[in-house]
Amino acid sequence: MTTVSAETTNPTTNTQHSQRALLAHLMRRSGFGATPAELDKYCGWGYDATVEWLLHPEAQPGLDEDIIERYYIDWKESRNIEGALTETVYRMNGNAATRPLREKVALFWHGVFATGLAKVLHEKTMLNQIDMLRQYGLGSFRTLLEQLARDPAMIFWLDNNFNHKDAINENWGRELLELFSMGVGMDGEENYTEDDVQEAARAFTGWTIDDDNVASIPYGKTPWLFRYDPDDHDDGIKTFQGETGNFNGDDIIEIVCRQPATARFVSRHMYNFFVADDVQVPAWQNTPPADPEAIALLEAEYFRSGYDVRAMLRVLFTSEFFKAESARFARVKSPAEVVVGTLHLVGDLKFPRVGVMDTALECRYMNQDLLNPPSVEGWHTGKEWIDSGSMVERINFVADELGNPAHPGVRSIVDALLAQDSRLDASATVDGCLELLGCVVLREDNHAALVSQAAELLENGADTESVILNALRMIGSTREYQFA
Amino acid sequence: MTTVVDYPLSVAELYQYHNVIGLLSASGPGFSGPVSLALGPDGLLHVASRANPNQPEGVRVTRCTFDGDYVGEFSGWGEGLGQFIWVTAIAFGPDGNLYLADENTHRISVFTPEGEFLRCWGELGDGPGHLNRPSGMAFSPDGTLLVTDSLNNRMQRFAADGTALTAWGETGDGPGQFNMPWGVAVDAAGDVYVADWRNDRVQKFDAAGGYITEFDGKDGGSGFARPNGLAVDGEGRIYVCDWQNDRVQVLDGDGKVIDTLIGHSGTSKWARTFLDANPDIEEKLNLATQNIELKRRFYRPAAVTVSDDGLVFVADCYRHRVQIYQRL
Repeated sequence: MTTVSAETTNPTTNTQHSQRALLAHLMRRSGFGATPAELDKYCGWGYDATVEWLLHPEAQPGLDEDIIERYYIDWKESRNIEGALTETVYRMNGNAATRPLREKVALFWHGVFATGLAKVLHEKTMLNQIDMLRQYGLGSFRTLLEQLARDPAMIFWLDNNFNHKDAINENWGRELLELFSMGVGMDGEENYTEDDVQEAARAFTGWTIDDDNVASIPYGKTPWLFRYDPDDHDDGIKTFQGETGNFNGDDIIEIVCRQPATARFVSRHMYNFFVADDVQVPAWQNTPPADPEAIALLEAEYFRSGYDVRAMLRVLFTSEFFKAESARFARVKSPAEVVVGTLHLVGDLKFPRVGVMDTALECRYMNQDLLNPPSVEGWHTGKEWIDSGSMVERINFVADELGNPAHPGVRSIVDALLAQDSRLDASATVDGCLELLGCVVLREDNHAALVSQAAELLENGADTESVILNALRMIGSTREYQFA
Repeated sequence: MTTVVDYPLSVAELYQYHNVIGLLSASGPGFSGPVSLALGPDGLLHVASRANPNQPEGVRVTRCTFDGDYVGEFSGWGEGLGQFIWVTAIAFGPDGNLYLADENTHRISVFTPEGEFLRCWGELGDGPGHLNRPSGMAFSPDGTLLVTDSLNNRMQRFAADGTALTAWGETGDGPGQFNMPWGVAVDAAGDVYVADWRNDRVQKFDAAGGYITEFDGKDGGSGFARPNGLAVDGEGRIYVCDWQNDRVQVLDGDGKVIDTLIGHSGTSKWARTFLDANPDIEEKLNLATQNIELKRRFYRPAAVTVSDDGLVFVADCYRHRVQIYQRL
């Protein structure tokens, strides 16, 4: 459906298209989509090499921090939530071509370890957490949890600064188990007890922060810092998950990481984020995974690799359950994926400009207020992203962006199609747009409607460029574009 | 916050911390990311604040005395005539008017010192007189205006009425080439100093744009990291905001580093007023256990200017204040 008719009779180009479509699928999931030129590059590398490239973002150049600081001087300390959200979107988009998986994994963990500015109220500290997720998100899950436990935003968010040896606050201890590692239960069984929560909390007493009360005035904010206070740490014997010892916080994390429940929990989150929409997390205790074999494969790799996220994602991206035709366009895009994916495709916001905040806030309007999730449970995903208001925002945003020929990415698509044939027919116009937008596949009736509309425009004397732009806008308005 | 009452010396003890003006504020007494300074013919300090994109009122030019008494301000967030969004530089012309560069509209706007809009010129482009993110301005002794045309990687000289006169520079890292230049200063002889930002150097040209020499801050120092604001005093000393090193380097006329200012801020008059009215906030500030010394230091100093009597004003951009040193 997405190829021009001449190609459908050619086995070579069919194979090429199939490879291109698979890589487009990979990039939608592992990153924020790909431009036609990027897909050309990935096709040249091949699938497995592209996966390895994705898994090693540390080898790729980062953003020009000096330029960001020069033009967005308020971002260094990020004095408001809108600025912080804007910086996050800018960085995701800026890294979409060079380090897409690093950004996507940070977004993934941000949804799992949901921490919010509604309470934290210190934007730079919150942004530091996202940076921590970028830095450690592809490594050892154990190390990631150790960093999370020391993260000032998380400590404040879950009150561990009020977790004292003579008066424990169990908030962090509970959520570490319930929402960040093991989950409440699996296969109908509970994964931990209330005593485990209390003992975990005891192990994290004395894990606190400094300067969390320091106001921004008179001279701006300074970042919060983790501090371990041995005098406020409960040094007594604890029993956790059936093991007894003089546990500190890292010991709890080590035990947590050894649990089959943790392997299940991490695997299921990965599947939900990268493969296909699952039921919401609270239902996992009593609802089996949609694809038990896939989850079992990921669980096995979790233990085989020593809790290595990178290794698990390698298995995931190279698996048949990920590559399958049925897996494609099977996930509703999150608002961040819609906004950043579209920005990346059209080539906007690659250099600082005024108005970036207005663009970034589109995520909020589509129900994903980055850095400010609705609760510690994070955002509900899948079809729960969609309501009538957010759907209108999605369609309007995408249609506006894809239909703007001033964007270099749109210009490039238009020019590429005009270069094929300055007088494309309706079908070739629509199919060419679908191909260049990342091998988007439309339902038969939607495809027919777009071809019909393009034909009508051509019959009425519209020039080819305006027909292409209209087709891009219309594709951006389809149901299918909302799926990754 | 404990008021700092000492007056520390600079590294080489050629300068002494004098006072500080500032307070994080989106309007009224205070600044929000000050990026440029100008000493007006009215004897007032003028400070341009860049602010947040969602605090339009914070983008403004504030007028105050050297002692930190607030006199007034003017703003006008937008792209219309007399409006500005991404202010980068201000400078007073020999006509006594304030010239303001806006990187968003690529225009130079002219105001009275009180902020009444007079005229403007400039548009996006790379032809003669066109601009692409003008980021630095300085008047020459002959009354012409030098503008750092940053993304065109060139310097342009304009008559005060906006007529384009000459230009020089191209993209690169060789002599006379630039990589996103930022600040500019002119000495009494008319020689021009340009902060060649991404090349981590200051280039010196004659008035016609002929390359003379360049300084990288390594003679007597450890080198510049993204230098931006520049000034030259009556004795030919060159002041360089060593932006990413959070310091101001003072060079002699040969480019040798002779002193370093690191920032010694105490509590400004505006801050004192604010804290007296908000003792709960001061109480919280006093709870701070880390970063205390850090908060006195420069944090991305963006602009520097020197008065005839040797006061050195530094726009301490990310700390929303102007720290002032006295040349000894």
